[in-house]
Amino acid sequence: MDFFLLGLQQLSDVSVALAMVFGAIIGVIVGAIPGAGAAVTIAILLPTTFSMDPLTGITLLLGVYCGSAYGSAIPAVLINTPGSPVAVLTAMEAYPMTKRGEGRRALSIAYSSSFVGGVIAVSAMIFLTEPLARLSSRFGSPEFAMVAVFALILVIVGHRGQRLEATAALTFGMFLATIGLERAFNTQRYTFDQTFLMSGMPLVPIVIGLFAISEAIVQMTSERGEQAAPKLAGRFFDGFLEIFRYPVTLFGSSVVGVIIGIMPGVGEFLAQQVNYVWAKKLSKSPELFGKGSPEGIIVSEATNNAVPPAAFIPMLALGIPGEELTAMMLAVFLVHNIVPGPQLFTSNPQFVAGLYTTLLLMNVVIIVFLMFATRWIALIAVVEKRFVGALILTLALVGTYATSYRLSDPFIALFFGLVGFVLRRHKWPVTPILLGLVMGPIVEGRLRQALGTANGDFTVFVSRPISAVMVAAIFLLVALTIRAEWKRKKSLEEWQISVD
Amino acid sequence: MAGDAQKSNRVESLALNGVFAAVSFFLLFLLPVATDTGPANSGWWTQPWLMPSATLAILCLANLITLARGWIQLRSSPPQAAETGEAWAAIRGWFRPLEFFLYFLAYIWLLGRIGYFFSTLLFIQFLLVRTGLRSLRWILAGFGAALVMTVVFRWGLGIWVPTADIYALLPDAARKFMTKWF
Repeated sequence: MDFFLLGLQQLSDVSVALAMVFGAIIGVIVGAIPGAGAAVTIAILLPTTFSMDPLTGITLLLGVYCGSAYGSAIPAVLINTPGSPVAVLTAMEAYPMTKRGEGRRALSIAYSSSFVGGVIAVSAMIFLTEPLARLSSRFGSPEFAMVAVFALILVIVGHRGQRLEATAALTFGMFLATIGLERAFNTQRYTFDQTFLMSGMPLVPIVIGLFAISEAIVQMTSERGEQAAPKLAGRFFDGFLEIFRYPVTLFGSSVVGVIIGIMPGVGEFLAQQVNYVWAKKLSKSPELFGKGSPEGIIVSEATNNAVPPAAFIPMLALGIPGEELTAMMLAVFLVHNIVPGPQLFTSNPQFVAGLYTTLLLMNVVIIVFLMFATRWIALIAVVEKRFVGALILTLALVGTYATSYRLSDPFIALFFGLVGFVLRRHKWPVTPILLGLVMGPIVEGRLRQALGTANGDFTVFVSRPISAVMVAAIFLLVALTIRAEWKRKKSLEEWQISVD
Repeated sequence: MAGDAQKSNRVESLALNGVFAAVSFFLLFLLPVATDTGPANSGWWTQPWLMPSATLAILCLANLITLARGWIQLRSSPPQAAETGEAWAAIRGWFRPLEFFLYFLAYIWLLGRIGYFFSTLLFIQFLLVRTGLRSLRWILAGFGAALVMTVVFRWGLGIWVPTADIYALLPDAARKFMTKWF
């Protein structure tokens, strides 16, 4: 109780409360605009938060983060266009309901499922993060190094069907992180005596280039994207209590979302797939799945909203980000000198309390906002793509030049904008570049420390129990992945033979 | 037709994989000149070249396998001349963003000449016209967007931008006002 009072005390700061409300509103709006989304918006807003108080800046970005997860359902439900890739399943299940004249019902099911998924995930975050952080206080460099390596392997394994591409992207990001002045002997790596590279590759321009500028170009070079404004039919409150008719689907999806969200690099897609399969099997009306099933919407939205707060658990406890948004958040934390890990809970409990309370209340703010603003947000959802692209490119100036005043930053952003554009064209994963960039220094530093304490002896990683468990987990994960891939190929070959 | 598109994509993908492999090998070959060696008495694990070499080696390997996989797929079903032509057109499309990047650099240049609001207004309007959004509705939308950005970033968040040259031509009070708010 004292903990929440402490959190509410943090929220009594007007700037934090305003950041929560504005962040949530911005998040819902950008989430509803296909192509805009949380990653692009956070990339643009990231540098503007550097001058804010830590909790205010982080709250603003968290608002965008949480709000966009709700907002992305709006175009998915109403115009069959997901606001973000994770709303594809929502579109598949909700649009048939909209066509049947049940758009409002589908939306209210989506909102309330998102709310339950979000609240369960934040609750899990409150109860799990500190114990995990306390456990990590027993970690030395070998344990942290192996946890980081495990996370990297998970990032690769999580990109099923694109594991080689993900490996290339991840190692490219890790290579980028090595550029600059190296600390051990103060030598330069890949700087070629260029002053702007001495302090390393700047994260913000790279993020803006990969996520915002490349998206802007995609949008501006796309075909005419304006659609007719959708009509909202049905009663809005129809679905709010309906979700509780499916408690297993609702709470099961949320819990599985939390479990998968904790694993770095795995993400919402896998969680959705897993939940969809079992929910359909257990459903009393599986024939409705894919044709406008309320349970299908519940699976999609509860999972979508459970994963992001869960991804915060390893980030706050161990300093290991699980996906692009938590990687960006980690950058904000570090800029504000907030170092994730066990000491955060003892040295800065008011920040942690404020963060938890904000995340919980954020869900309430968003749902209240959506109850009144859906009608207008639905109009924004159909805005012309080229206009969105022009706005994103214009906004990119703030993040690339107007906060650092170095001409090198826009050039770096434009270069990575080109890289991101080409990669997107070929459907290569972009997120591992960012994860590699953020995780690279962690892995290098921890490996160096661990090997340093053992005078270069690799057995240091298996001679300590926690580290040995992590090594075993890495080998097991790799072995299981290879086995699954081999089985998949074999069954594909058998199927081809049977077809021939 | 769909099949053609798929095949031309294969050629384009192979070209992309080739570029990635070439760049990663080039970076790996630069390793001896781009990194230093630590003191002889320090352990191998402290060497500055270790992490770049490890990441680049894996990068090269991943790119090489991807390239080889694409090559084998293409060999099993060779592309026709028309498909290769389509692929070249698609490869030229990789450089389409460069046009917008030039506009963006012009925007940065303009920022110091005419200030944030006017350069933003000009940039948005230009982009809208360039992308085919030329009606009065879009001109007004662009104006509104430039105004909102100025209000949020200059008035609200106080983002600093270089003093515009054009403001120097204004009377003192007007110059201060424009410099502070626009």
